[in-house]
Amino acid sequence: RTMADALSDAGDLSGGEGSQDDVMTPAELIARLEEAWLNEKFSPELLESKSELVECVMEQLTHMEENLQRVRKGDLKASVHHMEIGRIRYVLSSYLRSRLQKIEKFFPHVLEKEKSRADGDPSFLSPEEFAFAKEYLANTEVYLKAVALRHMPPNLQSIDMLKAIPEPCLDSFVFLRVKERQEKILVEPETDEQREYVVDLEEGSQHLMRYRTIAPLVANGAVQLI
Amino acid sequence: MDTRSYMPVPPGVGTEENVFSLDDILLSQERLPCRTESVFPGLGFVDKSSDSRHIPEGTKMEIPLWLAKGLYERKRRVISVELPRVYREGWRTVFGADANVVDLHTMGPYYYGLGSQMLHFDSPENSEIAQCVLQTFIGRFRRTMDSSQNAYNEDTSVLVEKLDCLERALFRAGQSGLNAFQLWEKGLASHLTASSLVTNYRKRKLADLQA
Amino acid sequence: MFCEKAVELVRELHRMSDGQLPAFNEDGIRQVLEEMKALYEQNQSDVNEAKTEGKSELIPSIKFRHCCLLRNQRCITAYLYDRLLRIRALRWEYGSVLPTTIRFHMCAEEVEWFNQYKKSLASYMRSLGGEEGLDITQDMKPPKSLYIEVRCLKDHGEFEIDDGTVILLKKNSQHFLPRWKCEQLIRQGVLEHVIS
Repeated sequence: RTMADALSDAGDLSGGEGSQDDVMTPAELIARLEEAWLNEKFSPELLESKSELVECVMEQLTHMEENLQRVRKGDLKASVHHMEIGRIRYVLSSYLRSRLQKIEKFFPHVLEKEKSRADGDPSFLSPEEFAFAKEYLANTEVYLKAVALRHMPPNLQSIDMLKAIPEPCLDSFVFLRVKERQEKILVEPETDEQREYVVDLEEGSQHLMRYRTIAPLVANGAVQLI
Repeated sequence: MDTRSYMPVPPGVGTEENVFSLDDILLSQERLPCRTESVFPGLGFVDKSSDSRHIPEGTKMEIPLWLAKGLYERKRRVISVELPRVYREGWRTVFGADANVVDLHTMGPYYYGLGSQMLHFDSPENSEIAQCVLQTFIGRFRRTMDSSQNAYNEDTSVLVEKLDCLERALFRAGQSGLNAFQLWEKGLASHLTASSLVTNYRKRKLADLQA
Repeated sequence: MFCEKAVELVRELHRMSDGQLPAFNEDGIRQVLEEMKALYEQNQSDVNEAKTEGKSELIPSIKFRHCCLLRNQRCITAYLYDRLLRIRALRWEYGSVLPTTIRFHMCAEEVEWFNQYKKSLASYMRSLGGEEGLDITQDMKPPKSLYIEVRCLKDHGEFEIDDGTVILLKKNSQHFLPRWKCEQLIRQGVLEHVIS
């Protein structure tokens, strides 16, 4: 494959199915990144960490930048490639930013979840994010203590961060597109007069639903948040 | 877009309060009519209308929501909480007739928030209050949404004048969506601009200089 | 009434809803802490009296003061935490060096928090991918074009572009520059993105 092929594939951000093969084309890699990015952007809670994907995309970017060094300056191709790199870097940065934002917003809960995670369960934090979250908590606790809490009466010198910092609101509504047909999804009633009911989600159909209802489907990739 | 960097702690949902939410702290500052069900020794100075050393049992006074919530207990009753007027039957009838004409800012401005909080106090009218607050919201929502989506590049102060705090927040969310859409339509979505924080600091510095 | 000072702190921040950082209100905090001390001491003595002399009629007042203590604690910590959120925003909007006018508004512990935050963020970003890592405080908006037209709003001095070329950013001068090199300077209000 020529570099141009790889790059133009990689630049095609319009989506496509992620394949289960071990070898991923740059286009598939970027499609996966885009899925992860949109899911993370629209879900109220922090999703599973995708460190490997991030690593692959970073490698791909480095690779593309290296190739660019070899292209003659002023070559029209060069600016097209520059553009592609810029777009991928934007999606990747935006993805990582959404994650970091949620880690900062929910840090005590994120850390609690990580602590109670069973061995073998997928981690919600990459090692670097975990380090960041721990530092954020420690830094914030030290600060509150130093400025105010230690000057308060003995029984008021600490606060429970888990209670003080709100949890993600899983009842918020999200838009989604169905990638794999689902049968009998249980929908909770919205009012006292309503009763719970079940729906089938057809492949390709789009819905507005409570995040809580479809959270497991986001996690296993059966639906895509949009 | 993830361009706005200051994201305050949002108010709690439903009957919940968020500890660090500035909005919730100000909401819980709203005053409720109460009656003391026991003597509060040595706290007479709190009730400005009397100069007794204690607050006697049976005193009618207004106390903030946070204090009412803290003192309220079903078993050992030291205060009883009365409904503020807007949640009583008379006003509920008015809201039921046409919720759109009511000035919820003057009556509130935390009409929904305080209404939800009132449910903590086990009033026999709780289910009517909840129903009324919900129906009022539903009844007014359409108008709030439409007006926020149809006012582009104009002074919106009249439109938000009579809105409750929750409605104002929704109105602003609608406006920011509308503005973002208009920018995108004009092809300006990728226009790089100075951070609004930076601009506002500069404005203030200028104002300080002129003062 | 108790806790008025504490709520005043909260109002002070609430009024500046755009996220600006007002000067740290050391005096306000001190006054709240003093009120807390008084409330606590009064409660200690009432608790003792209630225990030793069996004066259970003191309980409502003890409870009353305890509510006020908790309220003061909540207001102060909410004030401080909200300030942290504003200080955090500064890192994303200004970069890692803050203008002195803003630093003047921070207390020593806040400066310390900010420095720690900068460090954590930097080591996180360094850890991403290759040797240099990835600066995720850049690329805040999707790129449309590689180069953009910018006008210089103030003298900024020399500025190096990708290929090593150095240009002089002089007030009112106009340049055609790689977009990603300009993002931060535009956010800081040094450059203005000109749309033709």
